Amino acid sequence: MNTQINSDYVPDVLVIGGGIAGLQSALDLADQDLRVLVVERNSSIGGRMIGLSKVFPTLDCASCITTPKMSAAAHHPNIQILTNTEVQAMETRNGIHSVRLLQKPTYVNFDKCIGCRLCEYACDTEYPDPFEEGLGSVRAIAVPFTNAIPQKAVLDAEHCATCGVCARVCPTDAIEFDQQPRTLTIHTDSVIVASGFNLNAVTVKPQYNAARSSNIIPPTMMERLLAPHGPYGRVLRPSDGKIPSSVAFVQCAGSRDESIGVPYCSRVCCMYAIKQAMLLSGALPLADITIYYMDIRAFGKGYEQFFQNARAMGINFVRGKVARVDPIEDGDLRLHVETTDDAENPLQEHRHDLVVLAQGMIPAWNPAATTPVACASDGFVATPSLTDPTATSAPGIFVAGAAAGPKDIVDTIAEAGAAAMQVSRYLHEKRAAVLVGQAVHG
Amino acid sequence: MTHVVDRSLLRKIKRHGAGSKLDVDACFQCGNCTAVCPLAEDSGGFPRRLIRMAQLGMEKELLASEDIWRCYACGECTQTCPRQADPAEFMAATRSYAISRYDFTGLAALANRSVLGNLAVFALFSIVFGLLLASAQAPVSPQAPLFDFIPGWWIHAIGVALFVVVGISAALGMFAMFARFVMGQRRKGVPLRLGALPGAIASAVTDALMHRRFQRCDSGQATPPPPVEPWYLRAWVVHAAVMGGFLTMLLATTLDFLFKPIGSPVPPWYPMRILGLVGGLTCLYGLAIIFLRRIRAAQPPWRKSAFSDWFFPSLLAATVLTGLATEVSVYAPLGSVGHGIFFTHVVLAMDLVAMLPLTKFAHVLYRTLALTLFAWRHAPAREHVTVDAQI
Repeated sequence: MNTQINSDYVPDVLVIGGGIAGLQSALDLADQDLRVLVVERNSSIGGRMIGLSKVFPTLDCASCITTPKMSAAAHHPNIQILTNTEVQAMETRNGIHSVRLLQKPTYVNFDKCIGCRLCEYACDTEYPDPFEEGLGSVRAIAVPFTNAIPQKAVLDAEHCATCGVCARVCPTDAIEFDQQPRTLTIHTDSVIVASGFNLNAVTVKPQYNAARSSNIIPPTMMERLLAPHGPYGRVLRPSDGKIPSSVAFVQCAGSRDESIGVPYCSRVCCMYAIKQAMLLSGALPLADITIYYMDIRAFGKGYEQFFQNARAMGINFVRGKVARVDPIEDGDLRLHVETTDDAENPLQEHRHDLVVLAQGMIPAWNPAATTPVACASDGFVATPSLTDPTATSAPGIFVAGAAAGPKDIVDTIAEAGAAAMQVSRYLHEKRAAVLVGQAVHG
Repeated sequence: MTHVVDRSLLRKIKRHGAGSKLDVDACFQCGNCTAVCPLAEDSGGFPRRLIRMAQLGMEKELLASEDIWRCYACGECTQTCPRQADPAEFMAATRSYAISRYDFTGLAALANRSVLGNLAVFALFSIVFGLLLASAQAPVSPQAPLFDFIPGWWIHAIGVALFVVVGISAALGMFAMFARFVMGQRRKGVPLRLGALPGAIASAVTDALMHRRFQRCDSGQATPPPPVEPWYLRAWVVHAAVMGGFLTMLLATTLDFLFKPIGSPVPPWYPMRILGLVGGLTCLYGLAIIFLRRIRAAQPPWRKSAFSDWFFPSLLAATVLTGLATEVSVYAPLGSVGHGIFFTHVVLAMDLVAMLPLTKFAHVLYRTLALTLFAWRHAPAREHVTVDAQI
């Protein structure tokens, strides 16, 4: 891994996004002896997956799958990784893509930093840890999280008190308070967009009142609560640290809803809600767990069985879209729903002490504004060809994972492999054409 | 029981909706509208079940349900609807459709179908009443008192006849709804006790006068709590102003009719005059707020307005305004202009009464009846006490 990349470095492929899709593509391409540059916006690669607890339907540990991939990519001789770097713009001329990158300052010289964390231990300033969804706290200068790659400290300028203690304790003089943002342009033959997804905010549907209660949480926060190395090491509700005794999952809380502009299905929520409910049954054996759903979309291999297992475990499934969540006394929540399960008494109110809203997947990045890549009406990268699902509207630029639409990990990895294959084929044909051209024209 | 799906019902109802696009077909029956509704009660399915009935063409069941009239159009369902199917507007359109179906003359169907139909019915009544009044008009000087211009006894004669005809028409319309309801309850096997009916009527009338349900609809228990409006702008207060003002004017007119010789001069501080003036101004205040909201169209339920949403309040406002102008012309003679205003006022007032069962005004009949039927349906069944004969 080399953090000092200049414009004279010409990779065969530039991969936008260092999540599971980008890493899988990068590894598949690098193993074919192609040079790959991975550009990641955050301080660590690993994307969304490294923040998950376990994955459905196998209940495998998420970081046990992601960390080896991260490590393999970081140590691969054909892969270069730029973290804290965003794509500003891209233009294509004569089949060459020129990608302008913005490297944000980390105020730490990565060539000098040895990841000893002495600065982190010495730092006095803390702020809510974004990796823990704000539940724990993190120092203003820190290695982003335990298994982050690269294992380099990053200073958060927004929260730093500029006391200078980190610079005094650093054994290698790596702290550089005067770092400036750096732009560089990379020329490459092909690009893979693997920019992934965001979740829309829990407050997006005002009827769910998430702004009025900290016990109405996004599913990513529940992942951290359930993670073995999570913020509390156990499942506690955020408002008062109470052990929840009745947890509700509200499905379709941020998708399949035109009133918030997300009419499509986010595809993964049914399955992760079932998974989280199963993990909760293990973590809180006495808690009641209810999933409010419109219809369970268990479409993948082994998913239906997973759903049936959850039913057999005693997890409640209530068919009906929750209309309103009202904060009530003791930090609890009251859910209003019309259910078709009970013909006699369809209009129901239920009390819970923790509510997880299944937020909708929205694209994390809009490439249409600054690059030749077109987006579909839902905001995700458009994939015009049915028979070439990883091809974008721009030749030589491919897409993988949730950047092209809501997708689970299994499909993302399969698509990342497919995108790598298409890039490989594209480069092969392009270079063969150049060779033929040279042979014909001398 | 078999049922044949009839797609034409939804098409017909949609024709009564405001704006070009009432996309009720989009509804996927999630029940958010029902669960978010401050007025949904035990039975559930309100308004979801009504949309389902319309989608399937269950016209008999839809028109037998008093539920369409229990909605006061707060618009909260429309705000949260995940399919943007606009349930609130669907309810309004269904009410308009029901008005045209309950009326047996066919005039309501014509008036509620299109702008032209509505205006045609209005023009028809205006011409009839105009000609009737003009037939008794005496050639007088512009300074003559109003009741020399058109004889008071003639106006009253037409008025009484009109009230009788409209009363019969309204009674038939209400019976159409009542009969459907009773048949529907019988089909469902719900027992209805005749003895509970007077109580139900009493509770419905107090509810209507006190705006009890309307207040619940607008009680700010919505989530998120809407920016608290001053009391004089709350939807139910505005409605109460229009309704109260109208009833006050009706009372003043009736008292005049009963106790004051026609056309006899009275001073401006005569109690009935004051009563009428206060009622008129209150009514106009409410109507002004309604017009402003519909013009601004900032949020549901005022975002979309059908022609019928404009027509009834406009007719009412025009009647009240010409009435107030007539009052003025009694004390400050305006000559032949005053005669013209008076003539217009009488014609408009007769139009208003004649079109009661045909326009949005019909909610006075059907909503009150619906509240009665709802209370009746929920009246506690008589307890059957059996005593074991073991003495």
